[in-house]
Amino acid sequence: MTTHDTRPGSAGGADTPGPLHGGPDDDYTPEQLAAMSRDDLDRLGARYDGVQVLHVDPGPEPGSALERRYVRQVGAVFMLAGLAAFAFVVVYVGSGWFLPDWEWTIDAGTWSSLFTPLLGLLMGLSLTLVGVGMVLYSKKLLPHETAVQDKHDGSHFDRVTTGATLVSGLHKSGLARRKLITRSLAFMGGGLGLMLLMPLGGLLKNPNTGNPLGRTSWAQGVRLLRDDGTPIRPGDQVPGSLETVFPAVTGGNRESDAATMLIRLRPEQVAVDRPREGQADFGYGDYVAYSKICTHAGCPVSLYEQETSRILCPCHQSQFDITQGAKPIFGPATRALPQLPLALDDEGYFVARSDYIEAVGPTYWNRERI
Amino acid sequence: MSTTNPQSDAQPDDVPRRGRALRTEDTPAAAARSRRLSKARRRVANVAGLMAALVLTGALYSTIAPAHAEEAGASSDADYEAGREIYQNSCITCHGENLEGVDGRGPSLIGVGGAAVYFQVHTGRMPLVRQAEQGPDKPVVFSEEQIDQLITYIQANGGGPAVPSGNLRDGDLALGGELFRLNCASCHNFVGEGGALSSGKYAPSLHDADDLEIYTAMLSGPENMPVFGDNQLTPEEKRSIINYIQTVTEMPDPGGAGIGRIGPVGEGLVIWVVGISALMFGIFWMGTKA
Amino acid sequence: MARTATAPGAPTTRLGKAAVDFDDRLIVAGPLRRTLNKVFPDHWSFLLGEIALYSFIVLLLSGTYLTFFFDASMREVVYNGSYAPLRGVEMSAAYDSALDLSFDVRGGLFMRQVHHWAALLFVASIILHLLRIFFTGAFRRPRETNWLIGVGLLVLAILEGATGYTLPDDLLSGTGLRIISAIILAIPVIGTWAHFAVFGGDFPGELIIGRFYIVHVLLIPAILLALIAVHMLMLVKQKHTQFPGPGRTEHNVVGNRLFPTFAAKAGGLFFVVFGVIAMLAGLVQINPIWLWGPYNPAQVSAASQPDWYVMFLDGSTRLFPAWDINLPGDYTIPALFWPTLILPGILFTLLALYPMIERKLTGDTAAHHLLQRPRDVPVRTSLGAMAVTFYFWLMISGGNDVIADKFQLSLNAMTWVGRLGLVILPPLVYVITYRICLGLQKHDREVLEHGIETGVIRRLPHGEFIEVHQPLGPVDAHGHGQLAYGGAPVPKKMNQIGGARRAIRGFFTPIEEPTAVELEQRREARGLAAAEDRDLTTSGRPSEGGRPSEGGKPQEPRD
Repeated sequence: MTTHDTRPGSAGGADTPGPLHGGPDDDYTPEQLAAMSRDDLDRLGARYDGVQVLHVDPGPEPGSALERRYVRQVGAVFMLAGLAAFAFVVVYVGSGWFLPDWEWTIDAGTWSSLFTPLLGLLMGLSLTLVGVGMVLYSKKLLPHETAVQDKHDGSHFDRVTTGATLVSGLHKSGLARRKLITRSLAFMGGGLGLMLLMPLGGLLKNPNTGNPLGRTSWAQGVRLLRDDGTPIRPGDQVPGSLETVFPAVTGGNRESDAATMLIRLRPEQVAVDRPREGQADFGYGDYVAYSKICTHAGCPVSLYEQETSRILCPCHQSQFDITQGAKPIFGPATRALPQLPLALDDEGYFVARSDYIEAVGPTYWNRERI
Repeated sequence: MSTTNPQSDAQPDDVPRRGRALRTEDTPAAAARSRRLSKARRRVANVAGLMAALVLTGALYSTIAPAHAEEAGASSDADYEAGREIYQNSCITCHGENLEGVDGRGPSLIGVGGAAVYFQVHTGRMPLVRQAEQGPDKPVVFSEEQIDQLITYIQANGGGPAVPSGNLRDGDLALGGELFRLNCASCHNFVGEGGALSSGKYAPSLHDADDLEIYTAMLSGPENMPVFGDNQLTPEEKRSIINYIQTVTEMPDPGGAGIGRIGPVGEGLVIWVVGISALMFGIFWMGTKA
Repeated sequence: MARTATAPGAPTTRLGKAAVDFDDRLIVAGPLRRTLNKVFPDHWSFLLGEIALYSFIVLLLSGTYLTFFFDASMREVVYNGSYAPLRGVEMSAAYDSALDLSFDVRGGLFMRQVHHWAALLFVASIILHLLRIFFTGAFRRPRETNWLIGVGLLVLAILEGATGYTLPDDLLSGTGLRIISAIILAIPVIGTWAHFAVFGGDFPGELIIGRFYIVHVLLIPAILLALIAVHMLMLVKQKHTQFPGPGRTEHNVVGNRLFPTFAAKAGGLFFVVFGVIAMLAGLVQINPIWLWGPYNPAQVSAASQPDWYVMFLDGSTRLFPAWDINLPGDYTIPALFWPTLILPGILFTLLALYPMIERKLTGDTAAHHLLQRPRDVPVRTSLGAMAVTFYFWLMISGGNDVIADKFQLSLNAMTWVGRLGLVILPPLVYVITYRICLGLQKHDREVLEHGIETGVIRRLPHGEFIEVHQPLGPVDAHGHGQLAYGGAPVPKKMNQIGGARRAIRGFFTPIEEPTAVELEQRREARGLAAAEDRDLTTSGRPSEGGRPSEGGKPQEPRD
């Protein structure tokens, strides 16, 4: 058949629409429909959708004082909404043109700190009023009708016939008999599924290669630096102080696990200091250094209370006692903060004697084994 | 560290203490920025380190020496006597006859310095009304003059960090912010709103603190606050921090009401109390029949 | 076709002809009429889900705007924008672009705040909607699937919020990211592998913001959108549930047709939701990232919290005791694993499976389209109240440091109060709720049997004082009402049956349109009341009657 062939029934037989199966078009002729009022048509259509309008509470009488009042109300609300919207445009466009500049700086004028609030107020007002207007309209001016719609349970006829179609189709395919095909299909499905998942393997990385979780940049002879890169001498801190220090390597102060608290104990604290077993010589004089990374969830702990010797984590309130080897004494943390062994180098600056002897930061499955 | 080095370079080397030369050559910040630190530069850094050690010695001396001089000059006899009188009237019960402290009541005041006195008395924390976890700030009891006299008296007994003078806000704003977030925010919150510490103790809000109070607090480490001596945070850095705190505290909020600037807790409260309530009101009203 | 064109009643206007042309091609008239005629029941609580839907639309609109400016990269840059206190500070490009969006884009800060407030509202309204569904039993057969989808939507919304919270890479979101990293690490056996897969290496790496970004703007929104579509299609297919009442059965829906009443109200609600979000966004500052500063692993602030919908997990983490489980072979199950993964896992699984659990326990497998009043199902209501208490208590504990600070309480004490309360309060609430439900039930029965208390005291000839009761319907020989409880609200004040003698309509009145049946009943009731009324007036009853109870609270369910 070519596209030029426009004769009716070119495929053989007459080209007429098939019979309509009991549709509403059979029940009502166009003439009948044309004779009905719009309301009747509305009700008729609703009835076909299983909806019956029970009761209509008509809106206010057209032309009545009540209607005029409601119309004025709704109109005023929409008007105000438009007004607020235009005011938004004026504020947005006009700032920096005929209004003061909108750009906010710490010492800019009042207008710039009013700019965002004004935008929000005007847009919020405008949108809310549009909504209020619509609801008012539906409440005051629309007729209130109460409609009931029937709920249909599933049709038994549909179930039986659909089931028959499905089952007979399946039966005709013969898949139930042809076991080889079902099995090969299952095999193929499994393979295909796996194949499509494989590229996700690109995400995997071995966390044990080079032991990145168990190591930091601290090593023997690495200096302790302040955030601004200066090294520290024992005389620099006064008792009862804490300073965050970083390893003297490239990017050391950006490393996620290397941040360390260098604490100088007060004499009272030194007197009661009980370091962890085997770590008695990790400190230097009245200085001790502990990892700043919480062993619970990895937040930096440095809420140091120098009188109670406690270090508090601001995320989950674990508390560590630095006179007891930074052992956790409250909250959800289970392990002490790792201690960094300290020494002085030839020039009298603090250096680490080695890396932390245990993994820094949150606990994980095989932490003890690394 | 987030402050870049150009910024720290820009700081005037006004305090000759721990070898500012280091800052330009040996800082990891510079390294982090350039991401390459050659061996040659490291050698230079070592030399610089030596130089720094020499400068540091001088610096230590120079920071201590003026303090002594000032102390000697300021302690005129009249002020000293007046200070001692105030001490004996208001402080002696807890701090002892000779400032040696009373066990279980108050610590020794020998060597705490005028900075500590200024902070404690000027914020109204001292004299304490009753023993508690932490002394709260209260209306000040003494006049400025009396506080000065008290400072003179305490300073004369054992020295210690003195009260600084001059403009305390002339530091670098961005550096101050970085230092604040590194050293202070963990207790005092992002912008100095304060926060809870263990067992009823708290880091107070910095809203009402004046420059000198913040400065002396850093210098003296009152109660549980760690001490930030001048060799740890230079006076310049302290002034930067004060500049940051005061600037941020005083600046208006560009995005509407600040709701305490404490983040998600306040915001969650607002969405439920204001947002959801407003909408609930709306949907109740929508159901009304006209 | 030919028939329509020439048929009587064929449209004569241009618009009408265009409509016919359109329908010729797509044949939409039938389905469109069915849609327009769809009946929606009217009740304030049915609008909660709509609030969620509309805030999602606001999220899509504002989020798209933000993507025009946001640079999801962890590349280090030096800030050089308008905000002086950060000028010259090194930060990630993500944070830098978020600052630029806030300070150097006209209206950018406003749009950021719109997005964030809409997100908070989105989850809040989902939870309210879920509670409504739960307490009225709307999840029962045939709607279990839609309940499951709803729970899925809630989980996705929380994940969407959490990824969005991370994106600006400020100090607060970075702290959150650090905790997410620790949570992933805490998974037994595969934790480190999972962490390296998600972060592309050790924390934080250089990929995570970019990855979270695509998850936040594409992956989760796409799934959310698809699930919301299915959620609503199922609603349309299954039709809305309704509260019991006169004329309402398991086989019908009573309410307004979609067009025009429901459409006008729903459209109005959309604008109101958008308006409230816009107003909040302008007037209340949210997540001022410039105050937080750029993320730095060595820095932290006191009171670092997640957004409110994750706060319950923060709370559980704070309260959980320090219990690492050490296994032979030096393996550890970290304490963090239980409150952050197992607990929400259990909570959401229980939530998702609740319809099946209840079906098993009650043996009720019938289809239900009429809702239940919470009091009529005391066990479910009490279980729900218990769960809400548990959740709320965890959420409060997530902000316990702020509470301790603002109310000058001991932080350690707050933790202990949190731990103990979590064990004690939910069962307590269960018992109390159960008792309240029974009490309300009993009162309903009592009113049906004896009538409404009128507050009128009468002295009998032999001196006894009695209160006059107004029966609600016909009474038997003993003066006991014969009406049975039908699951609908029982009027308990004279005004509710017309005792005020004129219809007093407060600002909030019941949403239900009275059906013909109900009107009929009201007329009857009014007749009875009027008869009583004459009597009452003579016995000195204040003529204005009591104030309507309507003032300020929703009337359905009435009690």
